[in-house]
Amino acid sequence: MAVLVLVGTDKAAFALRSENARSDWAIEGPLFKGWKVTATARDPSGRYLAATASDVYGAAIHVSDDARDWRQLEHGPAWSKDGGRKLNQVWTLVPTKDRLYAGVDEAGLFVSDDAGETWSSVESLNEHATRSGWYPGAGGLCAHAVLIDPKNPKRIWCAISAVGVFRSEDGGDSWQLKNDGIPPVVEDKEHKDLGRCVHGLVADPDDADTIYRREHNGMFRTRNGGETWERIESGLASWFGFPIAMDRRTRALYVVPLESDEYRIPPDGRFRVYRSRDGGDSWQALEKGLPQEHAYMGVLRAALAVDHLDPCGVYLGSTAGTVYISADAGDSWSQIRATFPRILSVSVFVD
Amino acid sequence: MLTRLVNGRTSIVVDADSVGGALRSLVKDHPGLEVHLFDESGGLRQHVLCFHNEINTRWLESIEVPVAENDTITILQAVSGG
Repeated sequence: MAVLVLVGTDKAAFALRSENARSDWAIEGPLFKGWKVTATARDPSGRYLAATASDVYGAAIHVSDDARDWRQLEHGPAWSKDGGRKLNQVWTLVPTKDRLYAGVDEAGLFVSDDAGETWSSVESLNEHATRSGWYPGAGGLCAHAVLIDPKNPKRIWCAISAVGVFRSEDGGDSWQLKNDGIPPVVEDKEHKDLGRCVHGLVADPDDADTIYRREHNGMFRTRNGGETWERIESGLASWFGFPIAMDRRTRALYVVPLESDEYRIPPDGRFRVYRSRDGGDSWQALEKGLPQEHAYMGVLRAALAVDHLDPCGVYLGSTAGTVYISADAGDSWSQIRATFPRILSVSVFVD
Repeated sequence: MLTRLVNGRTSIVVDADSVGGALRSLVKDHPGLEVHLFDESGGLRQHVLCFHNEINTRWLESIEVPVAENDTITILQAVSGG
């Protein structure tokens, strides 16, 4: 069994490879030296995708058969010329059997039907009637999470900061906001149902109506497809944080709380991951092998991943450039012996 | 950062009559460069520096200025600070 972890940072990507049950890791890189690597994925054919960005040179998408030699796609998602919008970064790449979705900043959703060679704007979302009320959060105005129901690809969720969560039931032809019950962060004068700063979104793979929502203002769950949301914070050290990940096999959830939106450091300087094994009804702190004194780094929303093995591996990359890996569903952790630049994204792939 | 898109080369010869023409010729032969040099308005990206010999093209009214044989066009990041 081979496991590959792609760590995207502010200055390059790095590949961590393990051939022996996730106990030893070989580090390759830097890949894309000098570039931010903001998202990585692998499509059903086994081809890897990586999104790069630069404050100078803009954003692009690259493909590779082995995550070593990469080719830049000639065309990526792009706003129309003179449309007034800039494509600053690709936040997420979501391949399905037939399509490839990209969520971007300045917020928008793009789709490719030819494996990324050409792209089209999902106008129904990108020109949504509420667009005039879309405002950025501290992380920008970004479509950072896209969920496709594996049993019904016409049901799509898209999370946009600091706007909220949209749901489509018709493959993206139309979108409805699903924000009722979520407190606003940036309230628009006209569109009262906007201004929700969603940080992360994961779906129960067996229940299309159950979605977990890591929000600026707390941790929420819906069991009715987003019609209503309830808080699920019992046991968490704090209501604030960015990433959320789920083990598809056991439905265990993982989050990394930060003290507050004002401070954004681990509570009490103790770096802990929290796990829920009951759909968010309760949370347990995971500490073994994680620094519990003077630890002031955070984990960004795309920098937490799970490999869905038995037991699952959990992988996180911190803003201090440290990578921690658990091979036992989070019960214990070890640090990769390297200090990377600020980590933006972590993805894991198993063969 | 861009040399990986031109097979590692740091110097490329193009045929053109103007600075703008030279840049268009460059991206025609190496289309992957286009998104990195030009933004959505079609102009050079804000932090991309382009010199025609020793003249910063931002000082020019237009990049459609004529070039002579063996002129040099240099593309750099505008980097400053820490």
